[in-house]
This record gives sequence, structure tokens and C-alpha cells, in this order.
Amino acid sequence: MKIVIAGAGEVGSHLAKLLSKENQDIIVIDNDERKLMNLDNYNLLTHTGSPTSFDTLRDAQVGQADLYIAVTPFETRNVTSCAMAKSLGAKKTVARIDNYEFLRSENRPFFETHGVDFLIYPEYLAAEEIITALTRTWVRNWFELCDGQLIVVGVKLRDTSSLVGKKLKELYTLSAKLHISAIKRKYETVIPGGNDEICSGDIAYIATTAEHVDELRTICGKAENTVKRVMIMGGSRIALQLARLVGDHYKIKIIESDLEKCQKLAESLPDCNIVYGDARDIDLLHDEGIEDHNAFIALTDSSETNILACLTAKEYGMKKTIAEVENIQFIAEAESLNIGKVINKKLLASSHIFQILLDSDQSNAKCLALADAEVAELVAKEGSRITRADVKDLGLSHDMTIAGLVRNGVGHLVQGNTRIQAGDHVVVFCLSGAIHKIEKLFS
Amino acid sequence: MIRHRSNINLLVVLRMMGWLLMIEALFMLLPLIVGFIYHELNSVKAFALSALITAGSGALMTFGLHPRNTDMHRREGLLLTASVWVFFTVFGMLPFLFDNALTTVTDAFFEAMSGFTTTGASVMTDVESASHSILIWRAIMNWIGGMGIILFTLAVIPMLNHQGGIQLFNAEVTGITHDKLRPRISQTAKSLWMVYALLTVLLTALLWLGPMNAFDAICQSLSTVSTGGFSTRNSSIAWWDSTYVEVVITIFMFIGGINVALIYTALTGKVRSLLTNGTVRAYAGVVLVFVAICASYQIYNGTFENIGDTFFTLIAAMTSTGFGVTNYDAWGPFTTMLLMVLMFCGACAGSTTGGVKIDRMILLVKNTFNEFYRVLHPNSITTVRVNGKVVPHSSVMKTIAFLSIYLMIFVMGGIILTALDLPVLDAMFASLTAISNIGLGSGITGPEGSFAVLPDAAKWIMAVMMLIGRLELFTVLIVFTRDFWVK
Repeated sequence: MKIVIAGAGEVGSHLAKLLSKENQDIIVIDNDERKLMNLDNYNLLTHTGSPTSFDTLRDAQVGQADLYIAVTPFETRNVTSCAMAKSLGAKKTVARIDNYEFLRSENRPFFETHGVDFLIYPEYLAAEEIITALTRTWVRNWFELCDGQLIVVGVKLRDTSSLVGKKLKELYTLSAKLHISAIKRKYETVIPGGNDEICSGDIAYIATTAEHVDELRTICGKAENTVKRVMIMGGSRIALQLARLVGDHYKIKIIESDLEKCQKLAESLPDCNIVYGDARDIDLLHDEGIEDHNAFIALTDSSETNILACLTAKEYGMKKTIAEVENIQFIAEAESLNIGKVINKKLLASSHIFQILLDSDQSNAKCLALADAEVAELVAKEGSRITRADVKDLGLSHDMTIAGLVRNGVGHLVQGNTRIQAGDHVVVFCLSGAIHKIEKLFS
Repeated sequence: MIRHRSNINLLVVLRMMGWLLMIEALFMLLPLIVGFIYHELNSVKAFALSALITAGSGALMTFGLHPRNTDMHRREGLLLTASVWVFFTVFGMLPFLFDNALTTVTDAFFEAMSGFTTTGASVMTDVESASHSILIWRAIMNWIGGMGIILFTLAVIPMLNHQGGIQLFNAEVTGITHDKLRPRISQTAKSLWMVYALLTVLLTALLWLGPMNAFDAICQSLSTVSTGGFSTRNSSIAWWDSTYVEVVITIFMFIGGINVALIYTALTGKVRSLLTNGTVRAYAGVVLVFVAICASYQIYNGTFENIGDTFFTLIAAMTSTGFGVTNYDAWGPFTTMLLMVLMFCGACAGSTTGGVKIDRMILLVKNTFNEFYRVLHPNSITTVRVNGKVVPHSSVMKTIAFLSIYLMIFVMGGIILTALDLPVLDAMFASLTAISNIGLGSGITGPEGSFAVLPDAAKWIMAVMMLIGRLELFTVLIVFTRDFWVK
């Protein structure tokens, strides 16, 4: 597939590298030659020029592109650029935006008539991700399908879990209620086989059906906490978005070290407590009553600060901590450090793009991007390769596994002798670089 | 003393080398077929044995080694690119030895290296007595080496179609910047090879229409398009004594000196981009100016024969083909110096030619003028533009470093050759012919002489210089630095 990406910033570069690994044809456009130089050693083509110049777009052969992704830091430029690309013949366009108004359904026709097919709003996606984490405090990742009929959760297993120390084949003889799709140990995610053993400290990605979710929680040795009061460090755009979305649901306190920003936050968020100060200061945390809060979310621009602040909060007995970590290299480190949940805008944006990629003609596929793996929901088509044999006879490569499926609105887990039928919604777990293989299986 | 851990993944380099050697073995099957056609039993045996040894070694390296880590990084890429040329030469010289076309390892290595680097300097004193298989093998070596061994494999081996492939591409392709034509590296490699193959087929057909037989046409075409210069006749192109052949080959040598990526763009319908390209214009301009100077000098000293020969010889020197139609030594020492200037300069970057490439010369000239300007206007900010694009300061610095190192190696090579009892001019000419991959000689190695008379030491030195020149210095020289091997 031919993909043109406008903007070689953080999200753009990450997408370009990722999609190039997935064997897609990538062309990256940016004004700044120095930004493009960083991409020079990757298997893709770069093009210097403005994303809002017709000449540049023509030179980059946007007319033959299957997907045009505008991810410059400026939303108006992205929308304009998408409109121009569409007029030149790009099949699908995606613009990164920074304004919730744009996402509202009554404003959709405007974007459709102007040739913008999809909008991504990383800050909004991040806020949504945080809300899921606040409602399901015992999991790291929560991915549900067809109104929760089938659920994939990422859980950090500790000695309290009865799964620890068991081999996978023992587990499957015990019960057929769960399917362990992948295990993340230290820096590596693997798709386990029957002889692999689960250790304490692993993050396991487990698929289960709706009726067994509570059971799974007990097996994992986790307790549900209800979150009422939330403390946020850093009044970033995500914080603002989050407060707007769930400000009436939780009692929110935002600590921000920039006075001007505090003032603005106070103006736009009348229901929240805005505190001026540095959240790394322990006295300040005490003054603001950290003991009374159920969740701590660190959303400053610095990943290091966020990680450290969450660790400090944990030390003071905070049950749930969430850190925004923008350096992808730090994610594995942060996850092993007992920080409950890690938020990364790049991963969220790229998972959204994957969803668009996988699903060029249907609009119901979902995707969840982890640091080095993807969870994708796909619908099996009539006559596709996946439906031709039992799962164990398909000869799936080692970097993917089928976790479960939803048939006629009912969730099932997949075993070796399951036969996938056309129309099934299937959840596939695959390691990075394998997602294009999945596409072939399903079409 | 602290021991430094070597951080190069040698296993993965060797494993990839195995694949490449198996491809070389496939190429050896072509001379084998030619041997069958001409009933040359000895050569068939020689090539069968060589192909078997090459494929066997390759298979052993590929299937015998199981590197734990299969990542290719910058160092591995550079090392693979530099060493693949040596490996190809070592295995590529086997047929010469088995067929007794050349008797010593030195000669065979020199001939094979001269073939792959498209130098075209030959130590075979009587090529007409060599078998057809050997002749076509020399031409095939030229052809593979012209575009680049790595570039060929990038087009055919899918496993290189990732990040590691880019490292290899950058290490092998010539020029200051490397144009990628299409988003994926394998597509770029395929497009370039398509153009290359198309030119070869076209030239073969044209030569076949003239006085050449099919075999000669194919061999001559393979070594012209690659700007290699191995001929099937002792007296090179002069043997046919045909104006038609001379003109056709002159035109294709000239085309061979143009950036292949640019020819591809022209073929896709943008002919204007070829005509308005600054480098191509400079290239054509230099040819015309030098032909004019050379012809006037010839008329002045009475050695002028016809303008065709002057064109042919100058373009053969500039594009590093090194075919001969006449005894240019007889034109006098001034023309020899003119030839050396052209040989140093070379044709466009991104083509199959040698030399420092005209792009770098343009950059040098423009930068020199900027420096002069800055003496008068110390506070002015100036930029260097090549083809309308601003060249970043770091690239300008790298180019100037490149030119200095190139000159140093050229002079050092010449000095060492004089130590081996070559006359001064001949030694300098031979040194330049090696590093610029030309194949012409002067004096004892010239049209009347042969590279065969050189002492063994001189042949080894020239073979190494050919490799350094073909990979544009840095890729080979970096391997000999300490920083390359230790962390």
C-alpha cells in the first residue's frame, strides 16, 4: 500500500518507521530537511517541501497514494493539506487535529465535503485511554469487542496470582475460560507455547469472554478499586481534555508549575481544583492531601518527571498511577517499575492509523497498539484463507496468535480445533512487523 | 590494558555473504552454457568446478552459520559491502586459473578485480586466444560490477528489503547524495537495473546490426554499458575499424556516464529533467571543451587523424570505460595530461563510471568562488548549489575531504609504483587508472604495451586501489580504522 505522511515530527516519524517495517511504501514530506535526515537510514522515501504546496504534493505522487496522513503540529494545515491531497487523487486522507469540536458528529459533513476522511486526535485518545484505566483499575490494558462480549486484558501478574508458576498447557487442561495470547517479560513480548511458564512480574495479555471477567480478576489476584478523587500533575492538553470529559464524574485536582497555565486552566475548568506548584515537592503533595486521592496521573512534557512522580506517589500508598511516557524506549522500563499504566500519544495515534489501514472497506475493526505488538480486531471475509482450515492447521507464523472470536454476538475463545467462519469478528494478537501478514489472511 | 569487545556481528555478515556467493555461482553458469555452445570442453570443466566451489562455499556459510542476532547495523553494512567485492573477486578469479587463461594468482586476482570494479585493465596479453567462456565471463564481471553487486542483490533478494538494505545501498552507490527513486529500496534497485538492462539490450542489437557477430556484440555491449572496458579483441574496438561501431559505442559510453536514476526519470516521460540537469550539462560541456582543446593541439602538432577518434578516446577516459581505437600515446604528452584530468574528473555521480565524479568538481569550483567572495565580503552568508539544490555545509566538508584523500591516494600510489621501477608518467597514469577505474594505460602499460609486464607487487597495489576507488574511498578505508572495530 502506498502511504504519504506529511510532517516528520514525533508522530509522523514513528508512523513512518513502523509502517516501513510493515512493508508499506512510505513517502514522508516535511519542510525541515534536518528532520527528514533522521529518517534517511530507513526504507522509505523523503521529500522536502511544504505539505500545503500543490507542487510538493504532486512531486510526492500523492495522486497514487492509498492513504494520506497529515500529522504536522498545526491542525488547520493538516486539514488543508488533506483537502489538497484528496483533490489530487489520494484515496483516503487522515488529519491530526487538536480540537474536540471537530470530532462532533454534526461537524462531520464539513470534513467529508472537504476531503478529510478520518480525524485523529491523540490527546483525546489519550484521555479516553485514561478513563478506561480509571474505571478498570486492575488491568494495564483493556480491549473489548462487540459490547464487551470478548475482552483482552493486559495484567501484571504477581505472586498473589494463582497463574504464576504454572505452565500454559496445565492451565488449559484446568479451564477453557481464558486464552493467554502473549507475555511481556522484561523488554520482550513473546507469543507463548504450551511449555512456557508464567513468572511473577510478567505482563500477560489474556483473552476471556464477558461472563468470566470477574473470575479472571480473582485468578490474577487483583482487587477492584473505585476511583473517586484524581490528582493530575501537569496541566497539559490531555489533562484539559480529561477534565472536560469526566470532570463531573471524578473530583479532579490539577497541579501545574506554570502560573499562567494555572490561570487559564482555572478559567476553563471551573469544577476542578487548580494548584500552583511543583508536584515533585512532597510537602506540597501532603498539603494537597495525596492520601485522600485514589489515582495519580502524571502528564507533564517530561517522561522522566512523570515516571519519578508516579513512583513517589506509589510510595505514599497511591493505588493507581498513570504516567505519560513519550519516549518509546522508556516504556518497557516504566512498565517494569511498577507504574500502573503508561500512556503514549504516538502509540495511540499509530494504533488508530493501523485500524484505518486494516480496514479499508469496513468501519468496525479495532486496533490496540502496544510498544512492540498489536491487538487487532478483524472480520473474516467469505473465502479468505483464515476460514479454510482449523486454527491449528492454518500454519500461522510464530509472531501471531488468534485470541478469540465473536460469532453472532457471542464471544468464544479459540482453540486448536476451532474453525473460523466468514463474518466472525476475530481478535488477533501479533508482534510488530507482522500486521501485513494478518491482512493477507483475512482478505 | 583494557580489552575492547569487538561489536561487529561477523556471523550475520558471513551468512549474507553466502547468499551473495550463491548468486555469483548462478552467473558462472552463463559462461558454462557458452562453453557448451562453442564445444570448449576445458572451459566447461573450469566453470563447472568454479561454480561448484563458489556455490558450495556460499551454501556452507549460509546454512552452516546460525547467528543469534540477525540485525544488520551500520558497521555490518559497511563491512559486507567492502568485503563482498573481495569475495566476489577471489571466487571470480577461479575460472581463469582452472582454464589456464592466467597462470598466477596475482594475474587472476588483478584481472577479476579489474573486471568487477569496471576498470578493464587486462593482464591477458592475447585475449583472442582465450576461450569464449572466459571472454563472456570478463564481460559479465564488468556488467555486474558496473551497477554494483549489492544493488543487484537488493533487487533480487527480498530479505534485504529493510533498514539494513539502506545501509548497503548508501555504502555502495556513488555520489554526494543518493537518490532514491521509489519508497522501498528493492523497488529503487529494480528500476535502476531495468534501465541498465534495457540499455544493454539496445546496444547489443545496434552492434549486431553492424559488422559484429552476436557473441562480440553481447560482450562489447556488456562492458560498454557498465563502462568497464574489457574487449574480446587484442586491439580493442580498433579491430573492427568501423565508423559505425565507433560512433555507437561513443554514444553509449556517454550515456553510461549519466546518472542512471536520471535516465529512469527521463524514460518515465520527463525528458526535460535530463536536458536541464546541471550536472549533465556540465558533463557534456567538459567533453566538448576538452575535445576542442585536444583536437586543436593535434592539428597544431600534426597528429590529427579524425575527430571521431578524439571523441572516442576522451569519452572512454572520462567515463572510465577505457576502450581503445587508436594509439593516443602518439598524440604527445599534452594529450596524456588532458586524459589524466578527465580520468580524475569522471562523469556524473550515480552512473557506473569511476573518478571523483563531476558533481564533486562542480561543488569544489562553486565553493572556491564562494571562498573568494567571502574574502571581499567577510560577513556574507553563501550557499553552494548543485542542480539548484543547496548542498548542506557538512556535505561540502565531506566532499572536500573526499577530494583530498583521493588525491593523496592517487599520488601515493604513483610514488609506490615508481619505486617498482616504472617511469614517472607511466606510474602516475597507472595509479590514476586504478583508483578511477579507467583501464587505459600510458607508456609501458599503454596501447603498445600491457599491464602484464608490471611486477606482481604493482598489480596487487593497483587491485587494492581499484577497490578503494570503486567504493568511493570511505566504505573501504573505514574498515581499516580503529574506531570501526572497537566500541
